[in-house]
Amino acid sequence: MADLKILAVDDSPTMRRIILNTLKRAGFTDVVEAVDGKDALAKMEVDNFNFVITDWNMPEMDGLTFVTTLRKNDKYKTLPILMVTTRSVKDDILEAMKAGVSNYIVKPFTPDTLKEKIDQILAG
Amino acid sequence: MSEVINLQDKIKAELLDISGTINKIVDSYKSLHSPLVESQENVPKATQQLDKISEQTAAATHRMLDTAELITPREDEVIAGLNKIKEIVQNNETTGVIELCDALAQKASDNNNDAFVIMDALQFQDITSQQIDHAVVLLEELEVKLSKILSALNSEGEETPAPKMPSKKQRAYDPHADLFDKKTNQNDIDSLFAKK
Repeated sequence: MADLKILAVDDSPTMRRIILNTLKRAGFTDVVEAVDGKDALAKMEVDNFNFVITDWNMPEMDGLTFVTTLRKNDKYKTLPILMVTTRSVKDDILEAMKAGVSNYIVKPFTPDTLKEKIDQILAG
Repeated sequence: MSEVINLQDKIKAELLDISGTINKIVDSYKSLHSPLVESQENVPKATQQLDKISEQTAAATHRMLDTAELITPREDEVIAGLNKIKEIVQNNETTGVIELCDALAQKASDNNNDAFVIMDALQFQDITSQQIDHAVVLLEELEVKLSKILSALNSEGEETPAPKMPSKKQRAYDPHADLFDKKTNQNDIDSLFAKK
């Protein structure tokens, strides 16, 4: 847990603060924020992350395009990616799975759900 | 005889002119009808969206107020408890101090949990801001359609360039974003991923 470096991608500053605080409470303290997919890709070029939490609806580059872009790169083929979004329509979830997300949470979420999904993904 | 032919030509020309005018009116009506229908559909959608925002904001605010109302009396009890400990220590009577410390620690822990309940409830802001974006987009579409109608009315059937609208803010939102109504619950999502 201590060596886990998380990139949290969301265009809402409120959501980023909530995710950061929830992660901190769950023991994940090394967290970097990005405002959209484009910003996230730029941050990933200069830093190494071993876990990504991303929203779907974002300007510039949305979460689905971001995940698809990552999965095309061999370096990120197995990178754990958790999508946290308001999109709860089944077809959207299937589309996210197809794009390569490791798991999926619908907002609003509870801290327990976030922790549980991170643990599940890390357990493989 | 030539006067009759002349009159017939004049009537024919008048009829052609009337026919042309009617065609222009029909075309203008057609160009106005579609934006008017779409505008009529968008206004109730935007109104519903705004009502939803109002209801969901109120619900989340009440949840936060309910939680804050649990925290504040607990804080009063913690302050009173600490004063009691101070009094006990000053009088060198240690009976019950451990129990009191445990009780105060429990109250502090409860307050910490409740602060996170408030933080969770604040997720409403992201959801209602997406609902607002949806309503704004519907109203912006209405604005464009109404401008087209006004432009058509002002031009009296003559072709004019599309109205210039101010550049819009880029909005990324989920039109179904909802605080309470999740189309798929977490258990069903988990089942989908379990089958992967």
